[in-house]
Amino acid sequence: MTRTPQRVAMLAAFFALALFVAACGSSSNNTSGVKSSAGQKIPQGKQGGDVTVLSAGDVDYMDPGQMYYTFGYMIGYSVNRPLYSFKPDNATKPVPDIAASEPQISSDQKSITIKLRTGVKFSPPVNREVQCKDIKYAMSRVFSANVPNPYATGYFGTIQGAPKTPAKGIPSIPGIQCPDPTTLVLKLTQPKAATVAAALVMPLTMPVPEEYAKPFDAKNPSTYDTHVAFTGPYMVKNDAKGNLTGWKRAKSIELVRNPNWDKSTDYRPAYLDAIHVDEGNADSTVASRRILNGSHLIQGDGAPPAPVLKQAATRFKNQLVLVPAGGTRYVAMNTKIKPFDNVNVRRAVFAIFDRNAMRLTRGGPIVGDIAWRYIPPGIPGFDEAGGLNPPTDPSLDFAANPAGDPAVAKKYMLLAKQQGVPVTADGKYAGKEKLLTIATNADPGKKSAEVAANQFEKLGFKLNFREVTQDALYTKFCGVPKAQVAICPNVGFFKDFVDPESFINPTFNGEAILPANNTNWPQLDDPSINKAIDAAAILAPGKQRDEAFAKIDLDITKLAPAVPWLWDKTPLIESKDVQGVADNYSTVWHLSFTSDK
Amino acid sequence: MLTYIVRRLLWMLVVLLLISFLTFLMFSKLPSADPVSLRAGRNATPELRASIRHTFGLDKPFFEQYRIYLAKLVPFDAHSGFKPPDFGYSYQNNVSVKAQILDRLPATAGLALGGMVVWLLIGIPVGIISAIRRGRIEDRVAMGGALVAISAPVYWLGLVALYLFSKDIGVIQIFDGAGSYPNTGSLFNSPFTVAPTLFLPWLVLAASFAAIYARFLRGNLLEVMAEDYVRTARAKGLPERTVIFRHGVRSAITPIVTILGLDLGILLGGAILTESVFNIPGIGRLAFDSIQKSDLPTIQGTVIMGAFFIIALNLVVDVVYAFLDPRVRY
Repeated sequence: MTRTPQRVAMLAAFFALALFVAACGSSSNNTSGVKSSAGQKIPQGKQGGDVTVLSAGDVDYMDPGQMYYTFGYMIGYSVNRPLYSFKPDNATKPVPDIAASEPQISSDQKSITIKLRTGVKFSPPVNREVQCKDIKYAMSRVFSANVPNPYATGYFGTIQGAPKTPAKGIPSIPGIQCPDPTTLVLKLTQPKAATVAAALVMPLTMPVPEEYAKPFDAKNPSTYDTHVAFTGPYMVKNDAKGNLTGWKRAKSIELVRNPNWDKSTDYRPAYLDAIHVDEGNADSTVASRRILNGSHLIQGDGAPPAPVLKQAATRFKNQLVLVPAGGTRYVAMNTKIKPFDNVNVRRAVFAIFDRNAMRLTRGGPIVGDIAWRYIPPGIPGFDEAGGLNPPTDPSLDFAANPAGDPAVAKKYMLLAKQQGVPVTADGKYAGKEKLLTIATNADPGKKSAEVAANQFEKLGFKLNFREVTQDALYTKFCGVPKAQVAICPNVGFFKDFVDPESFINPTFNGEAILPANNTNWPQLDDPSINKAIDAAAILAPGKQRDEAFAKIDLDITKLAPAVPWLWDKTPLIESKDVQGVADNYSTVWHLSFTSDK
Repeated sequence: MLTYIVRRLLWMLVVLLLISFLTFLMFSKLPSADPVSLRAGRNATPELRASIRHTFGLDKPFFEQYRIYLAKLVPFDAHSGFKPPDFGYSYQNNVSVKAQILDRLPATAGLALGGMVVWLLIGIPVGIISAIRRGRIEDRVAMGGALVAISAPVYWLGLVALYLFSKDIGVIQIFDGAGSYPNTGSLFNSPFTVAPTLFLPWLVLAASFAAIYARFLRGNLLEVMAEDYVRTARAKGLPERTVIFRHGVRSAITPIVTILGLDLGILLGGAILTESVFNIPGIGRLAFDSIQKSDLPTIQGTVIMGAFFIIALNLVVDVVYAFLDPRVRY
């Protein structure tokens, strides 16, 4: 008993220490001064040295005909060259890469002519100069069943003779022509040259030597993936037969200099001598801390978790860059399911939504700007639709307040009541059904979904809330109309290339609704919207096209098929002795511009 | 003995068959991501999806798919006799499952065997000291420590160990290379280079096992030391050291062999948590990655390999047990 005062004193000291530690942990939230990649100037780098990329997973494919994943692009665009690509300081205007000049589009929008650069050579064991036939073969093989490509039919399906279904073997496509070794001509069936030309930055335009790749492509699936011939400044270490010995699936990738790369043919400086990719860093906290505290490390796939990001933004400002991701996250409401088939109900949901709370689940202002429509920053049509300014059109009052506006929500619910929707006098939904809501089961998406569910409940909706993996969310539920999902709180769309059509067409055109892998998650099928998209798609690149898509974006927003809430910025981190340069196109570090300090 | 081994081998085949069927059923029928959609990508046409489904035989009826899988897996062929088992082809990684498993096996074996040595080196002496110093400070400290080690989940212990001791982010940076182990698989080729980097994962993996073995051995030894024959040995005037080690520990340690075989079998099937926390490219992490990607052939391959190791080592243990303990007869 005599020791009680001592114990009390010790306890008090302990709590004081705990409070001090807690205060230290939350003392600073000052994230100003963090670098943004928007408008970045490309710094001069130091020649030589090496870096290690820490990633959680592997690239999807090394084969440019199959590659379709951000981290795959990070590696793929440093080892191979497409027809056109983006420099780090300009994410909106691609520059000629294997091509020698701008694409020439015919006045009827049905033909594209591309002059090719000379002096670009394939890496060993091919060792010869790239010619038109290599691009022709690369663009033909992706229509084969042996080289399954997810976007070839969608973006290049208008090429004359392009198969509508995956072909047996490599098809001969008459619309891809090589009048001479340095000229490529694409003939189209529809006046869609603008979209096809914009898509020439995609990896399927990276050359593939037919005589070398043909035996690999004869197999189903093709094994060219592990025997790629490279044209970029780097290559995956290989043996004399072309086997990629430097790629150990889900373990590591070793990039070395491509001995056949000629600097005079390329805009890339390629400072580093070697790049190691260390995979399996599944714990993002550990990986992020290693990068920030370690040496010669940069981030691969994945992103720092919110607590580490906060720390990076305050203590490691010079090691953090924010890249506009060119994407929009939204909460989709199924317009085919009651009560979301009523536009006023959807507008009420939009109005009540606290989008600020949603953003906080991912880390607050540092992770991006609050969205109110679907075309994101950096994509033509964004500025024409109002840029980052809040909506001024009174018919978009439901989108005006990012913190949510109960009065506006009530107004729209009462309008819905007049149209026969069961709504109480105080503007709450009175229907008894439970709305199937499919959310992701992992943070931060899980937290966002919980906040989203709370917004629906504010208006009286009852939810059947189920959590699944993010993959299953897309492939078994939200992307499958038959699954009858009412609310998908974790969907979003990120750019393939810089063209507004790629944002609006697959996601809101009723004609694009597919039985599986559907990306029109709200299943919006409005004839006037569909017609406007079809009309805008055939406009030539330029002001008229951008304005047309901006108007469509606003018109879709007025129909409120989904609640957009975030225009992402991707955080990239690096070690203190690395001079990373962000790739605004793929939102990853640009390996051909990054250097040691 | 021979009859017993043959009988056990036949049972082993039955169990593996059952496990292969259950795994196939679980990952084919339960709601997970559609592997075709994952492989096809977000803009794939229905035709492309159908083509991929056909390529991987996923358009066939369930039992037909299983029959084809089994025919490849069984190491016998009616025409050619013995053939190496084929675990199938990974949808996501574009490589044969067998190649992936063989590639990952050295890393897992290095982790498991090294961990086993560590936990035996710690667990056995601690168990013996605890038993012979029962109730004293050494016993209390050892058993208290054992309780902590058993209670601490491996993933938590791993993260704490990284923060405290890893070379790049640790407070006391003493374990070189901690945090990433791409070269773990080359432990057997260059042990003196790779082994030092593995101390931290070995210690983390061994912590709970060492504690369990120490408690187990302590309990057995206390029981044995109260036996009549131990009293007789003491009465004969044998030195205490001889009584403890020749009469006590020798009897008490025999059951350890049984659990050691099982534990090693489980770990050879993949120490998922340790491999994930320390980024060790072993079978456990392969299984974890393939579950996340719904890569059914790889999931099946890793499960069957794990089951094989557990059953095979169980059999080995039973046979060894008969040599260690003359009372055991089959």
